[in-house]
Amino acid sequence: MIASGFLAQVALMVIAIVIASVTRARYRALVCGVAVALIGVAGVVTGALALGGHQGTATVPVALPMGALTLEATPLGGLFTLVVGAVGAITAIYAIGYVHGPSASRTSWIALAVFLTSMQLVPATADVVSFLLAWELMAIASTVLVLTEHAERSNVRTAAVWYAAMTQVSFSLLLIGFAILSAQVGSTQFGDFSSTQWNPVAASVAFVTLVLGFATKAGIVPMHVWLPRAHPEAPSHVSALMSAAMVKMGVYGALLVTTRFLVDGIVWWSLLVLALGMVSAIYGILQASVASDIKILLAYSTTENIGLMFLAIGSASLLRAYGIPGTAQVAIAACLLLVVAHAAFKTTLFLGAGSILRATGLRDLDRLGGLGSRMPVTSLTFGIGALGAAALPFTVGFVAEWVLLQALIHGAGSNNRILAIVMPVTVGAVALTAGLALMTFVKAYGIAFLARPRSDAATGAKETPVSMRIAMGASAALVIALGLVPGLAARAAATAGGLSDVGSVGLLGIDLPGIGALLDPAWLGILSGILAIAVIGVSIRAMRKRPRRSVDLAWVGGGVRVSPRMQYTATSYAEPLSRIFDDSLRPQRDVIVTHSSEARYLVERIQYRQRVSDVFEGRIYQPVIAVTERLSAAARNLQNGKIHFYLAYSFIALLIILVVVTQ
Amino acid sequence: MSATAASLAFIQIVVMVLLTPLLIGLIRQVRSLLEGRAGAGVLQPWRDIRKLFGKEPLRAPGMSWVQAVGPVVLATSSLLLCALIPLVGTVAFPLIPDDLFVVVGVLLVGTVALALVGLDTGTAFGGMGSSRHMMIAALVEPTVLVAIYALSVPIGSSALSQIVNSKIESPVTVASPVSLLVLVALSIAVIAETSRMPVDNPATHLELTMVHEAMVLESSGRDLAWLELGSWLRLGALLGLIGSLAIPWGLAVEIAPIPLLVGSIMLTIKLTVLGCILAIVEVFLAKLRLFRVPELLAGSFVLALLAVTASYLTVPA
Amino acid sequence: MPDAVFAQAIGMCSAVLLLSAVLLVWRRAQVSALPLLALQGLVLAALVAVMGIQQGSPELLAIAALVALFKGIAIPLALARSARGEFGGAPLINTATSLIAMAALTALAYAVSSPLDALGSGPTIQAIPIGIALVLFGFLLLVTGRHAIAQLIGFLVIDNGTATVAILSSGGVPIIVELGVFLDVLLVILILYVLTGRIQDEYGNADLDDLTELHD
Repeated sequence: MIASGFLAQVALMVIAIVIASVTRARYRALVCGVAVALIGVAGVVTGALALGGHQGTATVPVALPMGALTLEATPLGGLFTLVVGAVGAITAIYAIGYVHGPSASRTSWIALAVFLTSMQLVPATADVVSFLLAWELMAIASTVLVLTEHAERSNVRTAAVWYAAMTQVSFSLLLIGFAILSAQVGSTQFGDFSSTQWNPVAASVAFVTLVLGFATKAGIVPMHVWLPRAHPEAPSHVSALMSAAMVKMGVYGALLVTTRFLVDGIVWWSLLVLALGMVSAIYGILQASVASDIKILLAYSTTENIGLMFLAIGSASLLRAYGIPGTAQVAIAACLLLVVAHAAFKTTLFLGAGSILRATGLRDLDRLGGLGSRMPVTSLTFGIGALGAAALPFTVGFVAEWVLLQALIHGAGSNNRILAIVMPVTVGAVALTAGLALMTFVKAYGIAFLARPRSDAATGAKETPVSMRIAMGASAALVIALGLVPGLAARAAATAGGLSDVGSVGLLGIDLPGIGALLDPAWLGILSGILAIAVIGVSIRAMRKRPRRSVDLAWVGGGVRVSPRMQYTATSYAEPLSRIFDDSLRPQRDVIVTHSSEARYLVERIQYRQRVSDVFEGRIYQPVIAVTERLSAAARNLQNGKIHFYLAYSFIALLIILVVVTQ
Repeated sequence: MSATAASLAFIQIVVMVLLTPLLIGLIRQVRSLLEGRAGAGVLQPWRDIRKLFGKEPLRAPGMSWVQAVGPVVLATSSLLLCALIPLVGTVAFPLIPDDLFVVVGVLLVGTVALALVGLDTGTAFGGMGSSRHMMIAALVEPTVLVAIYALSVPIGSSALSQIVNSKIESPVTVASPVSLLVLVALSIAVIAETSRMPVDNPATHLELTMVHEAMVLESSGRDLAWLELGSWLRLGALLGLIGSLAIPWGLAVEIAPIPLLVGSIMLTIKLTVLGCILAIVEVFLAKLRLFRVPELLAGSFVLALLAVTASYLTVPA
Repeated sequence: MPDAVFAQAIGMCSAVLLLSAVLLVWRRAQVSALPLLALQGLVLAALVAVMGIQQGSPELLAIAALVALFKGIAIPLALARSARGEFGGAPLINTATSLIAMAALTALAYAVSSPLDALGSGPTIQAIPIGIALVLFGFLLLVTGRHAIAQLIGFLVIDNGTATVAILSSGGVPIIVELGVFLDVLLVILILYVLTGRIQDEYGNADLDDLTELHD
């Protein structure tokens, strides 16, 4: 059954490719969208079956020396396949209405089908070769998708180059790591990795390279630089797919390494993962909070969320290393719930951002505003997504963060000094992240959708086509549904992680019997519903007597409401924060004051410009790039185009080979 | 939902709704007296609320549904806080534990509603207040969560009722270093979160220094009434929480008329004392510059972190 | 004294020690530094007294009285006269950073004191990291203080820290050693006190930035 699930995915991919190649442009979006959505549905079904305990393998014999390619259903992989499939199906539906110009082309649809299928197969692979094969297919297809709009904006090309380069770095690191593991075991099957006594040095090297490789794909600081470039430049449905699904493959890989391959970890391994996660979470959300490009904001917020997942993985292995397996299980559950939560709300948010982009042509929050009345559905769904990203109650984001915090505060029950220091600091970091996320998403939603439009493009915005609204509605519904009844997600996470201490209670609430904590958001919702009815009742009674009245100008705050330009913008909203974290963000500010020609004391105009660049990019990557460029300039001297030199190189090579061979 | 917990929640809500306007009136009256003014009397907030409910709300072009929904959400979240926090008694819902993370989450829902109301007005002041409010909320969160951590270490649970119950059972922990540090840290966090001095001046008339007032400048009628009542309830509930943690005795551990009466009276006394202290402190404090507030919050965070350290010191090995 | 009360008393004293040190760093530019220092001295005395009562040793009670007299009253008073309310410019790093640094130092103190577990477990042993943290805070004050008086305060905090560690770890240093250390500290303080007075008379202030080129 599982095997036919895998087969169905591949078959559907082939069908989608064929359809994309033959249909005419007029119907292509509809037909291809449905075909790709079916791939996603197949992924959801297969993943659900794997979670349900169905076993199965599919083997593809190939002529490679390493043996056959194996696909195998595991509960952990099943959860990831399910998540990716769901995101894929939703984004494919969305793409039907969204695609236009280059993103509606044959290449783009084919790449989308290949991308989704390869992503769904990555968590199902059971040996190194097929894993790397699926991984690389996923990387190539996504690069093609990032490049979609390269003819329209030059930024797209730079973004694609960064993305391709970082993807290759990730691939090489994984290759090295897997090579070391395979050499130690003498097998490329994942199943053989889990039961081995590792040589400590080799295991450490493999651990570091694998974790860094997966972290690069996941967008962990300092390997995150591709993320804020590639996400904004890709078409929005692709950004959603990359951010909500692809980066999760990095998390899957990290889970694979820490919970299956190198289980009995050394303490500093866990601390490394924890530190990577903590730095990513704080740095990601700091950058997001001061960003005014909505897609860059979402991209950095992805770095933050992935950081939280790595933080959960790191604390889980730390807790396991110090002999507190019960709480470690809760931390793993927190990581898996974060995966589910992030997939749900980030899909909603990126699709919402795509709708804004389609309606106004703008990504710059500083020029948006007032979209709430013009695009009510987008406003509602984006609002729900933002609530989820801000981890407020009744959303799945809150549930995930609650489980994470429960794991952290119960982690230090033992009298262990390292835990006693690490856990409070981690709680502080998670709290700061949560606080800043709150501000970030209040800013994103409030500036884009509330108050009055700040530009003509925003004034003329129109609601999006029906397929996009359906997709956004579906993902927003998931954010709320999984937040109100998280029991199902908790059970899925428990099965996927093999956790015995996580279950459901009451109206599908979350139960953590190991640490004696439970949460039933549905009951909390009922209680607040009762209170809200009381409040609304009083309001309605007051409204009967004195209805709301529209006036031209209300208080007008001292008469400043005349021009929409007087409103706070995204940049000004984040200004206090960028000032407080001046040392970590190092924004560049220019204030240009033009004086009136008549009198020096009269100011004609003031120009304020602020640019927040990525600190890591400037500090780490630019020097490396500079050195590389200098080296390549030197290498260019060798390639001067004269035929004699090339012949001489061949001659020298021949001489060297002769000497080496005769040694 | 258990009937006993529901009845306690109901009682707490009723008591708090009756008390908090009086608490605000008391704070204002004490301040007035200390500053040599006559003051409007303790009942003035009640009169204000009644007046506001009888007036029509105004709506300017460009304002959205947030203007009407935000105040309702804030009021609901504040009422939910009053229901969850052990103020009169420590009987919790079996399936909705008064987990501190949940309490903070509910609190933040109100914060966000208020910030969105501020942004929705489309004026410079509304945005300004909203931005500052969210910045402070973001920086307060680490203090609150780490303080919760410190409280939860000795008993292994973050449920408020269990924390308070354990304090009632072993009185010696009430005066412990953990409690001391946590109370100082939490008090600073509460002052910042509810926009009191020295973080925000609730009595200011200068828009440029406003935080809370700037957000509600454009609201009127019942919208403003809900915003004010909601904010007062928040202050009351959080002060009550501090009171319950500092002096846990008197809280009803079972649902019966006498303990509930004692609990309500104790709550009134605690709120009166805390309100007077707050008013007296506010008279002698000047408002901090906005960019000095992070220092204050960093200090409170350090205290919370030290509380965690101290909590390991007092855990028996 | 019952064990539970003893543990709480030790915990309370060490917490107030820590709190006073944090407040010292926090409100450094203010005149409130000296009352805080006095508070720290008095709490240290209280700690010694608690130990004395627990062990029933009159020497420790005598030491407690001495500590209260010197650290709680005499030294702060002397400093108050010397400083005349002025503390010079702001410290070298800003307050928020030094507060975060203090949190990190507390964690460090806690981490490095793990070998002390060998001494056994009990409220006194568990409170030792606080003494170490005090020493580290004192160094932080020394390193970042701009004014000679601020540095003196840092020095005194270091001394309080070492005293705390000594009292807690050995349950009371031999009285001779303790008195010797006291005298040393007193001597150093007197020298610094005289020096700052001289410097102040000579240059009008004691800001260390102006004292980079000292000549004879």
